[in-house]
Amino acid sequence: MHPTATANTSRWNGGQSPFNLSYGKIMMWFFLFTDALTFGALLISNGTKRFFSEVWPNANYVFRSYPFGGDTNAPLVFVSFMTFVLIISSVTMVLAVHSGHYMDKKGVTKWLLWTIVGGVIFLASQCWEWVHLNHEGAWWGSFLDPNTVTKEHLAQFYKPGDLDNVSLEAALASTTNFFNFFFTITGFHGVHVLSGVVFNIMILINTVNGVYERRGHYEMVEKTGLYWHFVDLVWVFVFTVFYLV
Amino acid sequence: MGHHNHDTHHDELFYYEGDQSKLYSGILNHHAHEGVESAGSKAKIRKIWIITLYLSLITLIELAGGFYEYYNEGTNRVIMISFFFIFTLLKAYLIVKVFMHLGDEVRAFINTVIIPLLIFVWFIIAFLADADHSLHMNTSFWQQMKDAATGIIK
Repeated sequence: MHPTATANTSRWNGGQSPFNLSYGKIMMWFFLFTDALTFGALLISNGTKRFFSEVWPNANYVFRSYPFGGDTNAPLVFVSFMTFVLIISSVTMVLAVHSGHYMDKKGVTKWLLWTIVGGVIFLASQCWEWVHLNHEGAWWGSFLDPNTVTKEHLAQFYKPGDLDNVSLEAALASTTNFFNFFFTITGFHGVHVLSGVVFNIMILINTVNGVYERRGHYEMVEKTGLYWHFVDLVWVFVFTVFYLV
Repeated sequence: MGHHNHDTHHDELFYYEGDQSKLYSGILNHHAHEGVESAGSKAKIRKIWIITLYLSLITLIELAGGFYEYYNEGTNRVIMISFFFIFTLLKAYLIVKVFMHLGDEVRAFINTVIIPLLIFVWFIIAFLADADHSLHMNTSFWQQMKDAATGIIK
C-alpha cells in the first residue's frame, strides 16, 4: 500500500495524489476551468460591446413570447421555465452521483434518465426560441443594411423611447451585435448541453450493462456529472447576462 | 493487501497504469459498505434538496428583480446590475460547492481551481470599465466636434 498521509506536508512527498483525487477527475476540473475561461471571454466581449454602445436591446422586449402563446406579452416567463428545467436536471444529476457513491445501480439509472429528459426539454426549448427569433428577422449578421431596415422595425427589440435620440446606424450596430453575441453564446452553450446529453446517454448505457458495478465504482458518473453541473453553471451566468441585466 | 500474492510494488504499478481512481479514492467508495437507505445517505439527499430549494428561491428573487425593473421607470442601473450579480454568484457558489462537491475536496485543490478564477474577475471589471470609459471619451469627443461646428465653442 502507498503510505497514508499523516500530516498535510507529507501529501506532497510522492506516492499518492496530493489532491486526493484521481487523474481523470483532476483533468475534468482543469478542462472545465479552461472552458470557463472560454465562456468568460465570450461574455466579457459581449459586456464590453454593450458598455461601449449608446443603446442596447432590452431583454424584456426581445424575449417576450412562449410556445403556443401567440402574441402574448410575457417577458421572462419562458426563460424562467428553461432555467428551472436546467436546475432540476442538475439536481437529478447530483442524485445520480450520490447513488453511485453507494453502488446503487438502480438509483444511478433512474436519476441519469431524468437528467437526460431535462437536457432534452432544455434543448427543445432553446430550438423553439431560436426559430421564434429567426422568424422576427434575427440571426447572425442580421439588421445590417440601413437601406432596408427601419428604426420602427428595430423598435420591437428596445424599451419604448430608447431609440428616440439614437441614429439609425447606432441602432443597427447594437441590434446586430446583440444578436451575434446571443446566438454565438447560447449556441456554444447549447452545444455543451447537447454533448452533455450524449455523454449522459453513454454513461447510462454503461451503467445498465453493469460496467461500473464490475469496476467497483461509479467515478465516470462523477466526471460526467461535473461536466453537466458546469453546463448548468454557465447557464446561470447566461441567464443573468442576456435575460436579466 | 495481505490476502493475495501480488507484491506491493506490482499493485501500485497496476493502479498507476490502469485504473487510478482505486489508488486515489477521494470521496468515492467511503460509503460503499453502507446502503443508499442508510441514515448517512438520507442526510446527504436531504441536503441536496435543501440546496435545490435555495437555488429555486434565489432564481425567484432574481425574477422578482427582473419584473420590478420591467414595471418601474428609472431604476438605478448600477444597483440592478449589482443585485443580479450578487445572486448569480451566490447560485454559482452553491452549485460548485455542493453539487460539484468542490467543498469536499482538500484545500489545496479548492485553491488551485478558485484562485485563478478570482483573478479572472479582475479581467471582467477591467474590460467593462475600459468600455464604459471609451464610450464616454467617444461621445464627449463627438459632442465637442459638433459643438465646435455649430460655433458653441470658440
